[in-house]
Amino acid sequence: MQFLNKVLAIVWKDVVAELRTKELFSSMFVFALLMIVIFSFSFDLRVERVAEVAPGVLWVTFAFAGTLELNRSLATEVEGARLDGLLLAPMERSTIYFGKMLGNLVFILAIEALMLPIFSAVFDLNLLQPGLLFTVLLGTIGFAAVGTLLSTMAVNTRAREVLLPVLLFPIILPVVLSAVKITAGMLDGQPWTDMAPWLRLLIGFDIIFATVCYMTFDYVVEG
Amino acid sequence: MSYLFAAYAVFWALTFLFVFSIASRQKRLEREVEALKRALAREKRPSVENPDSS
Amino acid sequence: MKAGSRWGDLLSGLSAGMIIAALYLVFLYAPREATMGDVQRIFYFHVSSAWVGFFAFFVTLLAGIGYLRTGERRWDVLGFSSAEIGVTFTTMAVMSGSMWAKPTWNSWWPWQQEPRLVLVTILLLIYLAYFMLRTFVQEAEQRARFAAVYGIVAFASVPLTFMSVRWWQRLHPVVFDRQGAGLTRPMLLTFLFCLLSFTVLYFALLLHRTRLAKLADEVNELAQRLHSGWGGRT
Repeated sequence: MQFLNKVLAIVWKDVVAELRTKELFSSMFVFALLMIVIFSFSFDLRVERVAEVAPGVLWVTFAFAGTLELNRSLATEVEGARLDGLLLAPMERSTIYFGKMLGNLVFILAIEALMLPIFSAVFDLNLLQPGLLFTVLLGTIGFAAVGTLLSTMAVNTRAREVLLPVLLFPIILPVVLSAVKITAGMLDGQPWTDMAPWLRLLIGFDIIFATVCYMTFDYVVEG
Repeated sequence: MSYLFAAYAVFWALTFLFVFSIASRQKRLEREVEALKRALAREKRPSVENPDSS
Repeated sequence: MKAGSRWGDLLSGLSAGMIIAALYLVFLYAPREATMGDVQRIFYFHVSSAWVGFFAFFVTLLAGIGYLRTGERRWDVLGFSSAEIGVTFTTMAVMSGSMWAKPTWNSWWPWQQEPRLVLVTILLLIYLAYFMLRTFVQEAEQRARFAAVYGIVAFASVPLTFMSVRWWQRLHPVVFDRQGAGLTRPMLLTFLFCLLSFTVLYFALLLHRTRLAKLADEVNELAQRLHSGWGGRT
């Protein structure tokens, strides 16, 4: 229980800080909108082809907006020396990991929640099905799990923001692939059994990487 | 077939480049080690030639 | 040091000999493949390079774990030395893979028909990310720690990426099977021997590369002693 309280405390701190300035949220929102516009023009999203491209466009947008969130979130931490303050607090580093990961998860999910209706309107597809929403949740969990660890590393380097996508994208490929496949399957109305292997892969990824990143986070913030 | 030749040429070229880079760096570093060791030995001698210095 | 360099020479000699023997097997012993002809011979060295690429990164993973547990420099040295060799061989695998793909599928990059090409490319990207990370961290200890963590996390993703890329391909069934009747016995023997010789080559290169790294460390240490003014032996 103590553990959960500390984790939630960290998440709450981040949410409150963001509610005050709203700068992260607004920039992510604008960014996601821009991506839809750009994709509409580049792919010439006419009705027949929309369903084919939609899952990919969706997840690419989420991945880039998510990267934006990860970078900004940790950059403000470092600027305000808040990370150092957090490290001095009487809690295990791993607790900090879950707190940060949950915080990142909440923010990215919030943006996705806002984008899904807009995407549905632009693509003329129903993206608000429960199965699809569940997939978005699973995919975002995997993304946040690895992203929290890697952004903590990236922000400590000379290259900072530029390095995160380079480090992150090759690793989360299974997440993106599975998520796209399941999303596409759902939009096509395929039965669940067809998509079960992808779902298992996604859940497996989430569990494995939440564990691995949790165990190695300690080594990233020490010293 | 030219593809076959090209593929094996790639293998040879990269292996050769890698080995060559290690070998040349090794020679350079060995020379540096010798030079540094000699320089360090010279550093110790002033106290023998100059008994006045502390 | 003398004994060490003798092992090094032995290993170098052995690997050179084995590679030459492998070449003989590939070009003169293995039979000509029925459907694809001589181009198929690329496969022996292509797969062996890819194998070394993966194996080398696995060693980097082990080195990462070793470093995190002990904090000793030699684990970090093992990590980046193995990664350097791995990235070289992975590049070979990607390039030779493309050269095998062109005559087979008439495309330099057949995404759908050859998911393994995609997988090897992702491995290459991971290697490049590893080196970029190392380049951009200033302090040696932090660099070793970050590289160790990244090596672990990145390698953990490889099996999952392999599965996802594989399944993704299976949804687009291949019209004809390019491997034809499969491997005959002399082909299999050639194949296994190539894998073995490449592995030996990897270890030979690893020995030389780690030795080079230790030499560089020695240079740094001596230079530091010199510049700090007092050259006495510690």
